[in-house]
Amino acid sequence: MNITAMQRRKLALIAVIAVLGALLAYVALRSGPLAPIAVTTAKVESQSLRPALFGVGTIDAERTYRVGPTFAGRVRSLTVNVGDRVVAGQTIGEMDPVDLDDRMAAQASAMQGAEAAVREATARQAYAASEAGRYESLLAARATSEEVLAAKRQELVAAKAAAANARSNLERMRADLSGLQSQRGNLRLIAPASGIVTLREVEPGTVVAGGQTVIEIIDPASLWVDVRIDQVSSAGLRAGLPARVQLRSSDGKVLHGRVLRIEPRADPITEETLIKVVFDTLPTPLPPLGEFAEVTLDLAPIAKGPVVPNAAIRRMGDRIGVWKLDDGDPVFVPVELGKADLGGRVQVLKGLDDGDTIIVYSEQELGPNSNISVVDRIPGVTP
Amino acid sequence: MISLAGRDILHSWGKFVFTGVGLGLLIGVTLVMAGVYRGMVDDGKALLDNSGADLWVVQRDTLGPYAESSSISDDLYRTVLAMPGVAEAANVTYLTMQVRQGETDVRAMVVGIMPGAAWGSPGWPSYLVEGRQITRGHYEAVADIASGFGLGDEITIRRNRYQVVGLTRRMVSSSGDPMVFIPLKDAQEAQFLKDNEAIWQNRRRTAANPAFNRPGQPDILDAVDASQASSTSVNAILVRLAPGGDAEAVAQAIRRWKRLTVHTRAEMEDILIGKLIATSSRQIGMFLAILSIVSAAIVAFIIYSLTMDKIREIAVLKLIGTRNRTIAGMILQQALALGTIGFAVGKITATFAAPYFPKYVLLLPMDAIAGFIAVMIICALASLIAIRMALKVDPAEAIGG
Amino acid sequence: MTALGIRIEGLRKRYGEGDTAVDALKHVDMEVAPGEVVGLIGPSGSGKSTLLKCLGAVIDPTAGRMTLGGEVIYDDGWKVSDLRALRRDKIGFVFQAPYLIPFLDVVDNVALLPMLAGLPNAEARARALELLTALDVHHRAAAMPSQLSGGEQQRVAIARGLINRPPVILADEPTAPLDSERAMAVMRILNEMAEKYQTAIIIVTHDEKIIPTFKRIYHIRDGITSEEAGEGRPIS
Repeated sequence: MNITAMQRRKLALIAVIAVLGALLAYVALRSGPLAPIAVTTAKVESQSLRPALFGVGTIDAERTYRVGPTFAGRVRSLTVNVGDRVVAGQTIGEMDPVDLDDRMAAQASAMQGAEAAVREATARQAYAASEAGRYESLLAARATSEEVLAAKRQELVAAKAAAANARSNLERMRADLSGLQSQRGNLRLIAPASGIVTLREVEPGTVVAGGQTVIEIIDPASLWVDVRIDQVSSAGLRAGLPARVQLRSSDGKVLHGRVLRIEPRADPITEETLIKVVFDTLPTPLPPLGEFAEVTLDLAPIAKGPVVPNAAIRRMGDRIGVWKLDDGDPVFVPVELGKADLGGRVQVLKGLDDGDTIIVYSEQELGPNSNISVVDRIPGVTP
Repeated sequence: MISLAGRDILHSWGKFVFTGVGLGLLIGVTLVMAGVYRGMVDDGKALLDNSGADLWVVQRDTLGPYAESSSISDDLYRTVLAMPGVAEAANVTYLTMQVRQGETDVRAMVVGIMPGAAWGSPGWPSYLVEGRQITRGHYEAVADIASGFGLGDEITIRRNRYQVVGLTRRMVSSSGDPMVFIPLKDAQEAQFLKDNEAIWQNRRRTAANPAFNRPGQPDILDAVDASQASSTSVNAILVRLAPGGDAEAVAQAIRRWKRLTVHTRAEMEDILIGKLIATSSRQIGMFLAILSIVSAAIVAFIIYSLTMDKIREIAVLKLIGTRNRTIAGMILQQALALGTIGFAVGKITATFAAPYFPKYVLLLPMDAIAGFIAVMIICALASLIAIRMALKVDPAEAIGG
Repeated sequence: MTALGIRIEGLRKRYGEGDTAVDALKHVDMEVAPGEVVGLIGPSGSGKSTLLKCLGAVIDPTAGRMTLGGEVIYDDGWKVSDLRALRRDKIGFVFQAPYLIPFLDVVDNVALLPMLAGLPNAEARARALELLTALDVHHRAAAMPSQLSGGEQQRVAIARGLINRPPVILADEPTAPLDSERAMAVMRILNEMAEKYQTAIIIVTHDEKIIPTFKRIYHIRDGITSEEAGEGRPIS
């Protein structure tokens, strides 16, 4: 019997209803709470981890010299600019002497007067000595009285004292002059060590206080990185660790260095440990002081053991663990974690064995009764 | 027994199915609307779930950290940690800002979390879909997939660049913005440090102030600049209770002794869902009501016109002695069949369309079941008018003259 | 005359009230025996349709008495409670236009009433097919009404009128849209059916082609019937 129009219609309608029903079933089972949660899995492998520490810091110099005058005065001239190299003992500037030279001339004239006074006192002493000797011989001849001789002797003592006084006066004047001369010498600003000028704080003509910095010099050989490392992840830190330094300006280029020392005092507010990292070879050109640097410190590799990606580590209540696949069903296994590296791998001390299959990524939070479907990539993640 | 309704549908199934599809699209829009509302509520709950906290410790008398800004000193968490009943306490910052990547920028909620070996401490993304968790203390980010960022992308937040090392899913703020997780110290800086221009301007302003820039004492200026640049504040402390801990008791203790405001999970839900999205949800509720009324009117109209097309046949049926029950049953069955097709089409289109909406659309099975019941009731009510019309038809009309 | 069939005594029908009242039927007396086919002839407005509607229990007469198949159905008021069941079980209708249900195929159109009454579908369809065979349209049983010619549709309509074996068939201008040959065919069928199933058939018509075939004719004019003998010409 041929298929009648009615039967054809019936078939078409059944087909439409079947398609709708199938879609509805698909929709009900593939979305919403009945839908399986897409997860990706990985096998636990025994690996040796190379943990590392990460910190940030700024370029700084260990030895910084701040040169300035010892007393207040006006800057007369500066002979170096920022970036100039200087050697130890080089004059790098001068202070204005103001009336110092005049005072020295006055002192010199005063000294001449003092020298004349010394000569006069010496002459007086010589005359007094000869007078005293003559009256002694007269007394021996009884040609004079005892009183006259005593007076002459007293005159000699006075002349001696006067001469001594004139000499010491001259000494004082000379010392004063030499004081002024050395002050004249201190007006020059002299580089205490070889290095590079990093700062020229004031310009000639400025009046500065005693002790104020005029020129700053650093020793480029003493460049280091002032690094801060979070205390939470600073286990294993010690002096001598090899360091990789990446400067902001270096465009991915890595400089090598090592930990010089760990500062005995940490920052209690920011909870960071401070360390100093020195370069194995100084970068050229020298990086500017204060430039930002990221520092990675490589710790010694640790022995092989089961390793999981840190994305696999989940939390259930107050327990930390991973979801293990047991016959295709997810089971939460509490684990004890060891060290981690910066690449996101964590060593498992207890709870997992090599070859266990664990869930790494999941589309949603997992629960003990979750229905899962293992996929290569979570839907929506672009490769 | 013969199904008149079925035979009529079979006879004009094309018209029937297309009407059903049209109705279905309308029902689909209604379901999506309900989904948008559920999505908003779920965004709020997702935010709370993702934080993994039992208590939120915030600045005194604020509704923070999500609904209102809150700022507390970042060393307070240590004292909170020492409170009995507290298992974990972690600083966290939340700030909604523009995150740049190349030419584009995305509005995101930047969350500062404690990085390092503190696995799964409060505030951490609880699961990933790609990549790994943050391991370095600086300049790494885990972004939500909704931000459009990919693994390895360099993104810029305020002054610093971050590398995206992991991706999450459904980690959104209560307004649906994707979250970007960065280390806490960077986040604190990002929150309180301005852009470079602002910093330079601030320094000039400080330098022009004679109180800070004393002649002969240049160190004071440096100290002031440094103090302006550093931040020791966070937005909230997330607290996880010890097993069996009583949230209200611990909250009371912190409120009383630490002079801070503490929100429990229930209070937080009340703030987020009750206060933050209340107006938007009422707006959507209005739309939902209007759409339901429109759907009902359209179903009523369709059933009515389908019945009016058959009014002559109905008169004949009545004349030859068909019972009212049979005729009413035919119309009702058709209305329900139309509703079923419409619901199926609507549910399917809504489910397939939902992922394409920019904000999260959550279709709950319970909503679908409620929707189905509502559609059936609406169809039954709508067919009443048509049934009334059909029963009023005079069988004498079938006899001419 | 036997008591079965149709008997109408003094039937009146008044439309409206008071001054505007119109007496559509003033005094109708009719009697049709089982197996008999009578014609009801009258000009337009004479009350033919009103009589048919009263007899078909779709409008209420004003007074009089009607007996159908030996049962008094009206005696100054309906004597049966369910008029629709009365129509279904006692009366078959054949209209000027066939008025088939467009969404049912031919066999289901005919079998519809017994199916709705709860008879198993197969049994109802078998009964319908029997009738269709008798009416010589069984070859179109699976077709839809829209695919049938006018004559075929009318025959299907007759089959539907006969399906419940009603004691009475009311036919309203059943041959009007048909040419003379088909009209005669319809008349022959109705006569055959009347004889076969002992049905009383009233045919309302003013079709000159078929009037001569009646053995007995009722004229109706201004609501009053009068009986006369027909030519009783054999149907060619």
